[in-house]
Amino acid sequence: MAEERMTDALERFRKIVGKDWVFSGKAVESYHDPYTISNEEGRYKARAAVAPDSAEQVQEIVKVANEFRVPLWTVSRGKNFAYGGAAPVLSGSVVLDLSRMNRILEVNEKFGYALVEPGVSYFDLYKYIQERGLKLWLDVPDPGWGSVMGNALDHGVGYTPYGDHFGVQCGMEVVLANGEVVRTGMGAVPGSNTWQLFKYGFGPYVDGMFSQSNFGIVTKMGIWLMPEPPGYRPYMITFQREEDIEQVVEIVRPLRLNQVIQNAATIRSLVLDAALFATKSQYTSDKGPISDSVAKKIMADQEMGMWNFCGALYGPPPITDALWTVIRDSFSKIPGAKFYEPKDRKRNPDILLHRADTMKGIPKLTEFGFLNWNGGGGHVGFSPVSPTTGQDALKQYRMVSSRVREFGFDYQGLMAIGFRELHHVTVIVYDQSDPKEREKLDKLFGILVREAAAEGYGEYRTHIHYMDMIAGTYNWNNNALMKMHQTIKDALDPNGILSPGKSGIWPKHLREGKKP
Amino acid sequence: MRRIVMLLIGAPALVGLAIPAAGGELKGSEVFDHYCSQCHGTVDAPGSVQLSRTRGKDKGLLTQRTDLAPDYIEYVVRHGLKSMPPFAPSDLDEARLRALVSFLMKQEAAGK
Repeated sequence: MAEERMTDALERFRKIVGKDWVFSGKAVESYHDPYTISNEEGRYKARAAVAPDSAEQVQEIVKVANEFRVPLWTVSRGKNFAYGGAAPVLSGSVVLDLSRMNRILEVNEKFGYALVEPGVSYFDLYKYIQERGLKLWLDVPDPGWGSVMGNALDHGVGYTPYGDHFGVQCGMEVVLANGEVVRTGMGAVPGSNTWQLFKYGFGPYVDGMFSQSNFGIVTKMGIWLMPEPPGYRPYMITFQREEDIEQVVEIVRPLRLNQVIQNAATIRSLVLDAALFATKSQYTSDKGPISDSVAKKIMADQEMGMWNFCGALYGPPPITDALWTVIRDSFSKIPGAKFYEPKDRKRNPDILLHRADTMKGIPKLTEFGFLNWNGGGGHVGFSPVSPTTGQDALKQYRMVSSRVREFGFDYQGLMAIGFRELHHVTVIVYDQSDPKEREKLDKLFGILVREAAAEGYGEYRTHIHYMDMIAGTYNWNNNALMKMHQTIKDALDPNGILSPGKSGIWPKHLREGKKP
Repeated sequence: MRRIVMLLIGAPALVGLAIPAAGGELKGSEVFDHYCSQCHGTVDAPGSVQLSRTRGKDKGLLTQRTDLAPDYIEYVVRHGLKSMPPFAPSDLDEARLRALVSFLMKQEAAGK
């Protein structure tokens, strides 16, 4: 858009939020993607950022954005770093940064829920609960500084029985592109006292429309919290061979479906876990993927397997004892399986001691340690969804790991267990300061997406650089789903001011050859 | 300044809150604890490990560094470095950044 109009719009934003909370020029550089992939200099660069303090200010901002046709890229806290951070898909957008809206509006111990604004981090909510001695546990993703709301809206996962974060959200307040405020579910009933208790209300259930989307700006969200259990028993089981993943997943499925495995447990690869508390140079000076002999050295040194399954049991000890017996007996069928409780671990820091915190909802940043493996710093997640079958797990592992290694990276993957599916997340760590490395990563990622799609696998979440690519794989029946998204987009946001390009959804004036 | 908020939405057990919002005053040590300590507070935290690896074993802990300049600290906070992402001024505002720099420089002057 014309610079003059942008200047006028920014001045109007300053009148709404105060001059200290509109950032442009050098001040907007901290909104750039810290782990950039693209070698095109001008891509994914915000023109400015505006940080409102209330839903009322958000309403005023969208009115101005409509008047001046300013694209707004909404972020809760902007900490979704492996997926672009606060950076917009469309360069020249103004980041609508909601991190100042960080009020914890309610924590209800009786029913186990919180009502929060977008800027509330896991650290904030955890501290709040601890300071008051409330008997509630959070469910946290690996980095604790992110937004409770933002993570749920991006379909993030954690590690307790409440690990599906969008699955445990209940009730939203949303500012629409026309400035109107909507409350979903029971929140639409004036005086309702069940907004955070019952999701569906009456009529179409619309909350999902505001996740991974650009149809509205969520300004409040309810999230269910787990009552502190009367007992807690974290455990780790290690497996020695790569191909064990097939049998492990076959054992996992019935145990998870029957809730013998109670939580969103994970099966992680050797290098992903080993990298938390060690660097590659401690084991080898070789470039490229580690050899089998180095892998064995790491396994012995860190008491790990090629695959490491971390889970936890929650409840009265007689129940957790019984569940543990079933789990141990089931996995004992795999030759070489080793079983650990925290007291069995000799190192500190240690992978199980760390995960024992995470699986009880203690927010941390420890997981960032894996970026030290080779010091590259940049990382991106490739995250296809798989059915919980050993055949699919082994197939996906072989497809992804062979390509990742072919391009010179170590395989750092995990399989996060939902109920009937696995999120197979492979983190590729690269040197974002090296254009050749970025180019190599970009080529690899494109191959991974295409090969997965050819086998019927789709990704559940992605970096801003790949949103169009991933959306393009959800193309059944001549792109019917995207056409529906576009119809909704045009109806709710006719001027296309909200997060253009989010999840591959573009406003009408930027579709089909008109994208920048 | 601490933020105290009460929102009435008809629910029976609403509570106030006290969390530091950007714009509220924090001491430099509090800024370090709140924003930095998870990665830089102990020798085995991820940021300390990376610094030990790239700068030398005696340079892992930020609070023991004697070679940091204020401009450099400000630049890294706002732009990030390697795996460290940047901090936006809406969250870690200018007053807090100044307090953080002052804290780290005082630690340096005291030879801690």
